[in-house]
Formats: sequence, structure tokens, C-alpha cells
Amino acid sequence: MPQTPLARLDAAHKRFGQVKALDGLTLEVNRGEMLALLGPNGAGKSTAIALLLGLQRPDAGSAQLFGAEPQSLDARRRIGVMMQEVSLSPVMHPREMIAQVGSYYPTPYNADEVIRRLGLEKIADRQYGKLSGGQKRQVQFGMAVGSRAELLFLDEPTVGLDLHAREALWKVLRDLLHEGVSIVLTTHYLEEAEALADRVAVVTHGRMVASGSVDEIRAHVSRKNVICRSSLAPDTLRAWPEVLDLREDSGAVNLATRDAEALLRRLLAADASVRDIEVRRAGLAEAFAEITSASADGTGGEKMQ
Amino acid sequence: MSSGHSQMSGSRVFAAYLGDIRFELLKMTRTPAFAVPTIIFPAMFYLLFGVLVGGGTKDPQFMLQGLARWGVFGVMAPGLFGFGVSLAFEREQGQLVLKQALPMPSGSYLVARMVNAMVFVLVSALLLIGIAVFVGHTPLGFGAALRLLLVDVLGVLPFCAIGLFVGALISGQAAPAIINLIYLPMAFLSGLLVPLQFLPRALQTLGPIWPPYHLTQLSAAAVGVPWTGSIGSHLAALVGVTVLFFMLAMRRLGSRGISLLGPASPAGTTLPLRRAVNLVVMAIAIGLVAFGVLGGNTPHAANVAATSKGESVDGSAAPPVADQSTAPLGVAAPDSPVIAEFDGGSANAAYGIGFTAVDDKGRGGDSTVSQELVDGGASSSKAALEVSGEVGTAIQYPFVGTSFLPNGKPQVEFLDQGFMDYSSRHTLRFDARGDGKSYMVVIMGPRIDAIPAMYGFVAGPEWQEVRVPLQELGGVDLKRVKVISIGSMSPGQFRFQIDGVRIE
Repeated sequence: MPQTPLARLDAAHKRFGQVKALDGLTLEVNRGEMLALLGPNGAGKSTAIALLLGLQRPDAGSAQLFGAEPQSLDARRRIGVMMQEVSLSPVMHPREMIAQVGSYYPTPYNADEVIRRLGLEKIADRQYGKLSGGQKRQVQFGMAVGSRAELLFLDEPTVGLDLHAREALWKVLRDLLHEGVSIVLTTHYLEEAEALADRVAVVTHGRMVASGSVDEIRAHVSRKNVICRSSLAPDTLRAWPEVLDLREDSGAVNLATRDAEALLRRLLAADASVRDIEVRRAGLAEAFAEITSASADGTGGEKMQ
Repeated sequence: MSSGHSQMSGSRVFAAYLGDIRFELLKMTRTPAFAVPTIIFPAMFYLLFGVLVGGGTKDPQFMLQGLARWGVFGVMAPGLFGFGVSLAFEREQGQLVLKQALPMPSGSYLVARMVNAMVFVLVSALLLIGIAVFVGHTPLGFGAALRLLLVDVLGVLPFCAIGLFVGALISGQAAPAIINLIYLPMAFLSGLLVPLQFLPRALQTLGPIWPPYHLTQLSAAAVGVPWTGSIGSHLAALVGVTVLFFMLAMRRLGSRGISLLGPASPAGTTLPLRRAVNLVVMAIAIGLVAFGVLGGNTPHAANVAATSKGESVDGSAAPPVADQSTAPLGVAAPDSPVIAEFDGGSANAAYGIGFTAVDDKGRGGDSTVSQELVDGGASSSKAALEVSGEVGTAIQYPFVGTSFLPNGKPQVEFLDQGFMDYSSRHTLRFDARGDGKSYMVVIMGPRIDAIPAMYGFVAGPEWQEVRVPLQELGGVDLKRVKVISIGSMSPGQFRFQIDGVRIE
């Protein structure tokens, strides 16, 4: 079979009244990959997902799932879904809920199997309404995984989970990837994208502003951090043209810069006692901040949550 | 485009529908705030107002009428609340959006809800039937019971549609209050809580506007007690309401981006044709409703139900179809207002048959009655008619007294006696005195088994004139008066005299 994408948005436009939610977004999900969709709130991530799930239709451009309309039942039988902000019937039990969703799919996992795999035994037969927020997310994750679908759409799957539960969920995601499942993940935990994703797509203002592996995204960014202990006053350092930003961190200063070499030269010249110098390439967080603020055309209001 | 992965066998799809039905059922049974009132209230009301209120006296007609009415009351809640309130909540909470993203088989949500409502109605109706048969000892045949179950179970559909529409329209917070505002007044105005005959005339006339009215008539026909209109008109109204509200609900949900019937139409194919078809279907539905409402608007019509012809209540007989227009018109009343003065040595009237003492043994009662002419009538006339006896307690509505058949002929069965046209008269008047108890003037038309027109008065020790305002009485067709009776309904001994009966 030729390498056709499992899901694809092609120059998709979507407008809600005055708000342009998607402005010609093109996006592809390939077999076997985990794509992390990043972007500030209101960037168009949710709209992009809604188009791919067939919940909405693009005003212009196209949305496809497995080469078909996302509304097609056949296409949707090949995707598992975990949405954000869904409340489910409080009187039902997780085991029943996972089994019910599974019944919509051709070859679902047995609910007991899903419960074992996700370690939900303790809550499987309790009323859903009595579970904590994090437990509810785990059940919803189970409902998506239980489908045994080829492609999973997971919208903020780890919100509200404690560290332990999040690690466990990550492990399941890695296993699923290993088994050949493809995953689209939206998250605002950058470390989640960094830890899991093969590919990151950064969306702002309804457009794709960067796409590539985590390393590529990082490399895409010229920004570096120079960390050191200096005797100079922070205000002095902040006034230097090479310094974009300054943070103080337990006696050390962290200087963000686009020209690390020039900054180092000036630093060594100005402060004879400077020590513990370290130069770091930007993490995904910095990269992300730079990409999104650059694309914000100087409005500067865009911040990661 | 679909690969082997996405194919589902028919049996798996069927299992998915069943799974959804089971899921919904579990959900409802685990929500006692819904399940308990839905099932218990109609049974409780029937037990209180339909069975126990009579103090143990059980008139089969009364019991069956109650069964039909409270049955419909039990049909309304699962439809209205099951669809309305839960849809409003689930729509608000985003549950419907998730369901749309999932490959739920098309319409499964609606099917599950609908089957659920039907199961609730079935349980509620079986409970009512159980009460009727085992507590009220009502002679309900197996066939009649089955027909009633069928009417009730299918009768939930219009209420599902109305609930769906309301649920599509309002917020989850407001839904319970709004649905109650629809449910209880509509039940009242349809004659479910109190029979329509006891409501003001204007409300009686408006009865057919309300869907439960039509279902009540069909239920009454199913168990073989008097009803009005025609089967066709009631079916038309109910089908019309179902289609109309269903389509309105789908439109409303569609405008909110929700499609419960499966995938929305492919992009760019909201064809004019499809719209035109929708409009035509809606127009037809409106037409059906109009036809049903107008056709059902004969609240005092002269249907002679199967039972009144002596046929069995389990109803292998054809459904009662006669209505007002088919019953013969009464003959014109004589010009003279005088009916009877009782001064000629007999209780005979100026025309027709009467007055004759009648008891309720024919209806299973154990009341006794006798009448005689006594000296000393009202206004110093020579004689008056005295009626006395004892009202028994064997049946729900005992009644004994003296009866006058204005167009009665000797040697003719009561059922076949003719009618008199009194439509130009406005007052029936006579003098009465007695033991101080309450008595009743009862005027019946072709439907001897319907609740007739009734007018109460008290017979005190002194002669007093009783004036019955004929044109203001509900429940009688003055063009077709068969019998005018004066007597007692209150258990115990009684004695009263009448004199100078005239109609003018």
C-alpha cells in the first residue's frame, strides 16, 4: 500500500462568526507515528481535531480520515477518541462504559483486558460520578484504547493525573506505538510532547508555524541559554543588547540570547570573576515560546498555559 | 475505501444497538429519581383515585376508564422526561459530541432511548393492569389487556418526540421545570387527572388539541369503554405530532451541530431536494395533526362502545365506531311544556313512557326502589309522585329513581328506544320535596354508558321548585334525549316527591 496519510487536513479553513479558527491549515498524520499538536489556547488545535473527527466541516479545503470523509462510519471505526471536557453518565461503571464504546468497533479489546492493562481494577466497578478527575481521565483513556483502533486522537490525556498515573499512561502510549498504533496528541505539557512525540506540529492563529521532530523544532530555533554565576548586577546584564531575557536561579543567572558567542565575549570581558559558564540549546518550551510569539507578529500576548 | 478493519458484521452492529439499549436501561434504573416516579406515580394515583376512592364498590366501567386514563398518564413521563431532560443535560455536558465522534451505529442513541421509554411504559402499564385485575377485580379480558399494552407502548412515541424537541431547545438546568410545566397541565387538560366531563365546557371542547387526549380515546377503545372521535383521527393526530416534533427537534439539534441519526449530510449536499422533502413531510405532519384535532373534537359524541351493546369487554367485537352523526335525530318535542302533573291517577307523562321506577340491578347494583302516587301535590294540586327505596353499595355509581323516556315506546328494548329533540328548550323544571337529602337529575342521550348530564338538588321538607338549566349542562346532546331520570346516588334510605314536571 502506498504511504497515504491516515488523516489529513488540506488547506482547511474554518470560521466561527468573526473568529478565524483555521486559516489554511495543512496537516498529515502518518502510520505508526505519534504527532503532538501544540499551540496556545485558541490556536485552532481543537478545531483541527474536530474537523478530523468529522464533528465539523471545513469552510474551504478538505479533511480526510483514511482517505474518506471523516463522517463516514467506516473511517470512524478505525479511530479511537478521547476528548477534553466530556462528562459521562455518573451512575455507570467504568467496566460497562469501556465495553459499551468497544461494542461500536469491529475488533475491540475486552473491557477486562483494558482495565488490567491500565491498572483500573480498583475503580472498574465503581460509579463513574464518584471518581476523581484524574481517574475519570484514565477511564476515558481506557474507552479510547479499548477500541483497538489504528489511530487514536487524544486531547490532553494527562490533565489532572498525578505523576505516577501520568508515567503509567505514557508507558501505555509507548507500548501502543510499538504495536503500530498511530496517535495524535494535543497537550500543553511540553515535556509530554518531548518525551513521547515523533513529530511536533505547532499551530497558532489557525496556521502551522512549525513542524518536525522535537530536535528539528529545537534546531529551528536560534535561541540559546547562557547560564553562569556573575558578579555583575542583573540589571546591567539585562541592558546588554545580546540579552533577550534574564532569569535568576539560585544564585545563577540564565540569559537567553540569539548570539551566544557575542554574549560570551562581552561577558568574559566585563566580568573577570564570572564562573560556572554553561551554554544550553533551547528546550521545546523555549522553542515553542519563540515560535509562537514570532508568529504572533509582535502582539506578544501569546503565552503557553 | 474501507479496509477489512472497518467492516462490522451485521450481528456485531446489532449487538451494538442492543448494548446501547442495555446501557440506557441500566442508567435509568440506577437513577431512582427518574425510575421511581415514572413507574410508581401512575400506579399510585390509579390505586388512590381509581380503586380505593369508591370505598370498595367496584363499577367495571369506572375501573376501566381509570385504567385507560392513568395508563396514558404513565405513558407521558418516560417519553417527556426520558428524552427531554436527559437530552438537555447530555447536550449541555458534551456527551453528545463524544457520541458523534464515536462510530455509534446510526440512530442508536434514539433507538436505545425509545426502547427504554417503551420498557418503562410496559412496566407501568402492567402494574396498572395488575391493580385493576387483582385489587379492583375488574373484568379485563386478555385481548383487551394486550390491546391496551400495545396502545400504551406505541403511544409513548409522540411524547418521546415532544421531549426530544424540548430537550433540544432548553438547558439542562431548566429542563425538569419546563417539562413539568408541559406534563402536568397537558395531563389535566386532556382529562387524565380528572375526566373531561367534569371540566368546564370550553376545556372539554379544547381537549383534542392535546396529544394525550387522543391516546386516552384509543386506550378507552382498547379496553371497551366509551370514547369519542374516530380511530383514524386519533391516529392521525398522534402520528402527526410524532413526525412534526421529531423533525423540529432534528432541525434544532442540527443547527447546534448535532446529528443523532448518524453522519450529517456530506459537505455541499444539503440539497434543495432534501429540504423540499423535509418541508413536504412537515406539511403533511401538520395536516395530520389538524385533521386529528378537528376529527377528535366531538367530546360528547354518541359513540356506542362495544360494552353498551352487551358485547364482551375483551372485545373480539369490532371497535365502536358509531358517532354523533350516525345516531338518529330525536323527534321534535310537543309544543306544550307539560310533561307530568300526576293528577290523573297515574304516573304517566303527557307523552313517551314514564314515570317508571328504575333500579340499578341491570348494572350489577343492589339498590331498591318503589314509587306511588300520594295525595297533596305542590301548589295545592291533587297528587304528586313519591319515590322511595334504598341505594346499595355493590357498584361504584349506584343510581335509583324514576325515569321518563320522552320518545319511549312500549315493548321496545331500552337500547333501541328513540330520542326526543329538546334543543329548543332551556329549562327543565319541577317541584320537589323530601327527606332533606341530595338528589340528581340525570339526562342521557344515545350513549347510556357515558357519564351523562347531571344536575343535583336537595329535596327539603317544603315544596320547592327545581330549575335545570339545560343549555348549560355538559355531557348531553339535547337533540337526542333518550331518558330523563330523577333519583339518588347516595347509599342509604331515601324518600322524595316530585310534581309539575315541565320542560320549556
